[in-house]
Amino acid sequence: MAESPKFTVVGVSERKVDGRALVTGKPVFAGDVELPGMLHVALLTSPVAHARIRSIDTAAAEAHPGVACVLTHHNTPAMRYTTAGQGAPEPSPYDTRMFDTKVRFVGDRVAAVAADTLSAAREAAALIAIDFEELTPVLSIDAALATGAPVIHDEDDCLDVWDAPHNVVSVIGAKVGDVAAGLAESAVTAETTIETQYAQHAPLEPHVVLSHLDPDGRLVILASTQVPFHVRRIVARLLDLPIHRVRVIKPRLGGGFGVKQEVLLEDVAALVTLRTGRPARLEYTREQEFVSARTRHPMRIRVRLGAGADGMLQAIGMDAISNTGAYGAHGLTVLSNTGSKTLPLYNKAPHLAFDGRVVYTTLPVAGAYRGYGGTQGSFALETAMDDLAERLGIDPVELRLRNHIRTGETSPIFEELGEGRKGTPQVITSCALEECLRRGAERFGWAERRARTPGAGALRRGVGMSAHMQGSGIALVDMASATISMNDDGSFTLFTGSTDLGTGSDTVLAQIAAEVLGVGVEAIVVVAADTDLTPFDTGAYASSTTYVSGKAVELAAMRVRDQILAVAGRILESDPTGLGIVEGHIEGPQRSVSLADIGKRSYYGPDPAQIAATASFVPESSPPPFMAAFAEVEVDVETGLIRVTDFLAAVDCGTPINPIMTEGQVEGAIANGIGYALTEEMQFTVRGRNRNPDLARYKIPGAVDLPPMTVMLIDSYEPTGPMGAKSVAEIGINGPLPAIANAVYHAVGIRLTRPPFTPEKVWRRLREAGV
Amino acid sequence: MDITLPRDLEAALAAAAAAPDATILAGGTDLMVGVNYHGVRPSAVVAIRRVAELQEWEDRFIGAGVTYRRLEAGPIPGLAQAARTVGSPQIRSAGTIGGNLGTASPAGDTLPFLAAVDASVVLRSTAGERVLRWDEFITGPKRNARGPGELIIGVRFPDRLPRRQAFAKIGVRSAMVIAIASCCVTRDEDGTTRVALGSVGPTPIRARRAEEMISAESRPTEATLTEFSRLVADEVRPITDHRSTAEYRRYASGVMARRLLERVLS
Repeated sequence: MAESPKFTVVGVSERKVDGRALVTGKPVFAGDVELPGMLHVALLTSPVAHARIRSIDTAAAEAHPGVACVLTHHNTPAMRYTTAGQGAPEPSPYDTRMFDTKVRFVGDRVAAVAADTLSAAREAAALIAIDFEELTPVLSIDAALATGAPVIHDEDDCLDVWDAPHNVVSVIGAKVGDVAAGLAESAVTAETTIETQYAQHAPLEPHVVLSHLDPDGRLVILASTQVPFHVRRIVARLLDLPIHRVRVIKPRLGGGFGVKQEVLLEDVAALVTLRTGRPARLEYTREQEFVSARTRHPMRIRVRLGAGADGMLQAIGMDAISNTGAYGAHGLTVLSNTGSKTLPLYNKAPHLAFDGRVVYTTLPVAGAYRGYGGTQGSFALETAMDDLAERLGIDPVELRLRNHIRTGETSPIFEELGEGRKGTPQVITSCALEECLRRGAERFGWAERRARTPGAGALRRGVGMSAHMQGSGIALVDMASATISMNDDGSFTLFTGSTDLGTGSDTVLAQIAAEVLGVGVEAIVVVAADTDLTPFDTGAYASSTTYVSGKAVELAAMRVRDQILAVAGRILESDPTGLGIVEGHIEGPQRSVSLADIGKRSYYGPDPAQIAATASFVPESSPPPFMAAFAEVEVDVETGLIRVTDFLAAVDCGTPINPIMTEGQVEGAIANGIGYALTEEMQFTVRGRNRNPDLARYKIPGAVDLPPMTVMLIDSYEPTGPMGAKSVAEIGINGPLPAIANAVYHAVGIRLTRPPFTPEKVWRRLREAGV
Repeated sequence: MDITLPRDLEAALAAAAAAPDATILAGGTDLMVGVNYHGVRPSAVVAIRRVAELQEWEDRFIGAGVTYRRLEAGPIPGLAQAARTVGSPQIRSAGTIGGNLGTASPAGDTLPFLAAVDASVVLRSTAGERVLRWDEFITGPKRNARGPGELIIGVRFPDRLPRRQAFAKIGVRSAMVIAIASCCVTRDEDGTTRVALGSVGPTPIRARRAEEMISAESRPTEATLTEFSRLVADEVRPITDHRSTAEYRRYASGVMARRLLERVLS
């Protein structure tokens, strides 16, 4: 491992640059803004899972007092697009219309009404009369693939759907060696099939958009989005505007977790504004956030493993079917990641195969969600590894140690599986997973706790573990840029197109700039995520901001530093190559000059010239962060209740730019993952209606439900990252599901494969097993 | 919507008399969910939160306006344990024992305790006062015997409360959860044992055969504990709904009752 250099601002738990405004309740969110003459938009969504719209009568709604505009399929663009906020061309099918003549899930858009008040808009929406020709709903993977299944996308103008007549959105395959032969030659094999549930992001702030026309008639959209530049491009195309006539601004965000990597409301608010000339606000209700926004893809995954008696993996086969719901946004790429974020972890196996299919159903639409398919894949792989370890008689930690990828190594999967196409060959340039496993196990007391007997009473204890990788951005796809300009007091303004969703990334980027420029973080003013002001950034997804955007900031800051040192060299009559900035000063052989002096001089002379630079960064690889997760559970064999009593995550994310925020990211992701493992599930009626579209009935864990959590940040240095950093936003969520399931097996000897592990479900499995 | 905000009991009774079918609003933790999510639109509301007399707690009498927060900090262990499992701190600061009775949900968290100790409900109108035993008051799921123009004034306990009391509930998470099943067990020095369960029948249920059997046992053996558990499971009348199946509720009732019994025996 490279020796990590010493930093002064990076590696420090600086306060969030937006923290004060947030905690003092300043009006910083899109929903806080009111404009004169603002219209409120209400959405009318489908009450049925699958139907054709025979007719739609909006006369009464249009006549309702205060109504300014009603949108339906009759008066909106018919072109197909994808709501997935990905780079162009998006690797998601164009299977969506703004308002379609067919509805494909309960919650699908049917009409929008804009009125002076929200209540008037809602009343008018209720007056819209629709005649539905109901079609058979398709409510599971099996129903979608059944012979003669209703065709969900029978329109003739959808693009890039693999086999619409059979409800298959995409097919993915990757093959290295011969898995069947590898399994046959293996001394020991293990196989597991898991099936995961519909889960919800549940950001505190639902999607909200405010659009208006600026004095020059340009469309301005204030949006709760992770992808302002993609919003601008997609909305401009849909509404037939030149891109430069649209400005998208992302204010503070109340969480995203992937659900805001979609263009869900911006087009509707924008069209209302274009039609009426008035500002328009559109916000999901919490129920709409549940049913009409996006969810996590439910998947059925089978993993087959084969190993020699020495525990060295010979073959890994993974077959996965993913349910993308009514539309294919992120369908292909999420399933690609199910393989690409898991299989490279154990690169010693010569035989590898991944087979995937993405299917449509008439259920809510799945999309990007923290972990992005890796979470589901990792559950299957890591429970199979636990089973294999037992069959081999090797400790689960030891089995991972023998097989995991290391610095300087590669996996053929990096090249075989990309974002819906071939990937990019990649050599691992930093990996401290071995230390994560060893030191995590030691701190957790793995060996001692594992050796303990679970007990014979009602409460049985067990421990389980799992190992994980994710990525840092998307290699050769993402692009981030940053501009830094110097002010006349020696401070700097950082213009970044990246999107802080509440993660603290604006602070992290300011720290990186401050480190290079030799100033404190307070000397960096961050202007972010405004398509008129900031240079391009693909957006905040795929764990990209720290690594990709951070590198662009580092490069821009280095260019600015070079310009400063050139000026300082002239002032100090010294060779700039020997100079550096320390605490706001450049020390020459005889005297020093301050950044304030240089800033003032850059404005007012002598020889005034703006000191500023822009840099772009396109990552050539996606260096994975790594994690070892350890869980202790207490299983009540009489009631089936699982209590997680301890959780430890040892994480290698390279240099933690801001350690306390890094730990916070991991803790948040673990809480997110514990909910996914134990309590969270969107439930549906036999007609496809969501039965628990609110936070009372959809159970995310509260503080009292969470165990003590330990996050260990293990030293490593990623040479291609900014100051050695990798990203850490997603990886934490992958741990709880397999680590808890493996701990339950250790405690009571049953393999749980269908989350969430609710008391009754566990109780039934325990009874079947005779525990 | 006609809303009255009486400041004292006399004004509250007068308001209830003037609008006999008015909906009574106390902490609002049930009513406002109905208003906000289920389209409940009462024509008249009498809001009793400002009525000081209803917030009194004198030894064996608890005013209807006493919040879960106060019950949680109060001297009656079974009731404090039950109150602690209600919702979140915000809900416990608003919701009241009178509201729990007024809603009369089978899942009402304080109701198993009230049933176990044979509490009475005090009702008053401008015409006079009535005192009904809990099982006379709660007549079915979300139904009770409060008449037009009557207010729930409070809950009265017998002079002596059993020394040992324990409450537990099962749900899919620890906070903000509606019970799949809940149970209260009490035991006196003379062995008299009471078992009441919630969420496993149309009203709170007393497992009387189990009570009778175990009350006669001064030192229950493993066999009698098992038999107790079986009797409790036998006596509940659960249904299957979106939270759980009848089968699991029945089984869990037996397990919970036995565990609580072991707790009050220890």
